[in-house]
Amino acid sequence: MIKNVKDVKGKDFKITRSAEEIRELSFKNHICIGCGICESTCPVGAIDLNAVAIDSRRRINVYFSGHEKIAQNLISDADIQKINDNEEKCVLCGMCSGVCPVGALQLTIDGVPISEMSQYPHYTSYSNIDDDECIYCERCEIACPRDAITIERELPIRKNLVTGEIFVDDDECIYCGICQEMCPASAITVNPNTGEESIVIDKDKCVYCLICKRTCPTKAIKAMCRSCSYGEYDLDPLDATVSGNSIIDDDICVYCGWCQGVCPTGAATASKPFEGNIEIDQEKCQACGACVDICPCNALAFPVSTEAGQRLDHMAVKKEYCISCGACAQSCPNSAITVTRSDVNMTPTKSATWIDAINAIKRVIE
Amino acid sequence: MPKHIASGLKFLAAVKLKEKGKSQQYIADELNMDRSTVSHYLNGRNLSGNSIDVAKTITELLPKDFLLMAQSLFQETEQCRKIVNICKEKQYKGNVEETCIGCGLCVNMCFMNAIELESLKAQIDSDYCCGCELCKEECPTNSIEILEI
Repeated sequence: MIKNVKDVKGKDFKITRSAEEIRELSFKNHICIGCGICESTCPVGAIDLNAVAIDSRRRINVYFSGHEKIAQNLISDADIQKINDNEEKCVLCGMCSGVCPVGALQLTIDGVPISEMSQYPHYTSYSNIDDDECIYCERCEIACPRDAITIERELPIRKNLVTGEIFVDDDECIYCGICQEMCPASAITVNPNTGEESIVIDKDKCVYCLICKRTCPTKAIKAMCRSCSYGEYDLDPLDATVSGNSIIDDDICVYCGWCQGVCPTGAATASKPFEGNIEIDQEKCQACGACVDICPCNALAFPVSTEAGQRLDHMAVKKEYCISCGACAQSCPNSAITVTRSDVNMTPTKSATWIDAINAIKRVIE
Repeated sequence: MPKHIASGLKFLAAVKLKEKGKSQQYIADELNMDRSTVSHYLNGRNLSGNSIDVAKTITELLPKDFLLMAQSLFQETEQCRKIVNICKEKQYKGNVEETCIGCGLCVNMCFMNAIELESLKAQIDSDYCCGCELCKEECPTNSIEILEI
């Protein structure tokens, strides 16, 4: 008789079946987004999705006392074992691995992941940053809800100080912060955080060196150097170019498209695993924020409030960044969220059972 | 005694192969025997009638019992596979339903190496199937049916 061997390391686990071929199913808790697609797909019922909704009353209390940040950090990934797999029941068919939209579950056969085998279907979702287009402004790095992006930026050497005039064109500024980092006089303050972007140049401190203008990737800073150029505002940057590396960690990327949404040059592109829609019932929503905790793509947020303690009607949704995983709908204590998955972006397969399983992913989650 | 019964099975296999028109040399190679021993067997010498009777009885057991007996009589897997395949009383074919999930459990279970996964569905090769139904017992979705031809 062939037996499965389960190896648990912290909240991760591995199930191995060794026979003519070696099948190994690995689960990585930090990648799992708690969507539960594996649970509903598993043909032998070996997977249990653990409860991920939190004590919403506690959250409401903390939220309305004004500590939004604390509320958001009440529960972290590390606290939750998101799924359990019963190794006695598991037959290592790999269906959970095939339908996992983020690759938290992965089956390998003789060391080769099934995502690399053509007979198994796999998601066509991707994320990419085109190095030719990237200006290393780090907007995507800040916006990425999973911290999957790393931008390594190399700035040019500063020039000698000169004097002149300066202003910023707010329409063109992308708040990347390169000017702040380059300014030798610390005259520039940039807030690059998504939603609260701003740039302030302290003219008392500015020494009109033009370094900010030369390094600005979008030419938003108009400046004039008194010592070398009168009258003309829009000088070309000389040899000041920014170089660097942009890296996406494909393991934890959920293909939500934040990077694409905030990229000023179109270098970042992303394609989602599902097509779908999300609706929040304003009547039912208590703005508890359980959905904010579970949402892997920061598509749900507390609406911006002016005063602590102010009662808010319902959560804010950024539909363009929702991947229709349905985790929020399952964790909502008031059943206020409805996620409709209308399509699954997957490569085709010939197996009737797998086709049925993939079709079953298209459904309404309440 | 076990060795005598094993020899009895080899005798039955040799006779079956002879009936199919195979040469003595081929039979000797296939069953891992001396050619002279094959010759003796085929001419009815050097083997007790009782051993042959017992061997015959074993081949007429249920296919699963025959396979288990053969496995305990022959230590060498490949040899056992050949004997079972040659001596099996009937031919079998396996039907796999569309509910197959392609888990490969049957592939791993099949002693005869008769099953392969093709496009995430098990395919059972009638030439090698011994009808033991171990695959059917293990199938998590009850997708396998083994029929006598």
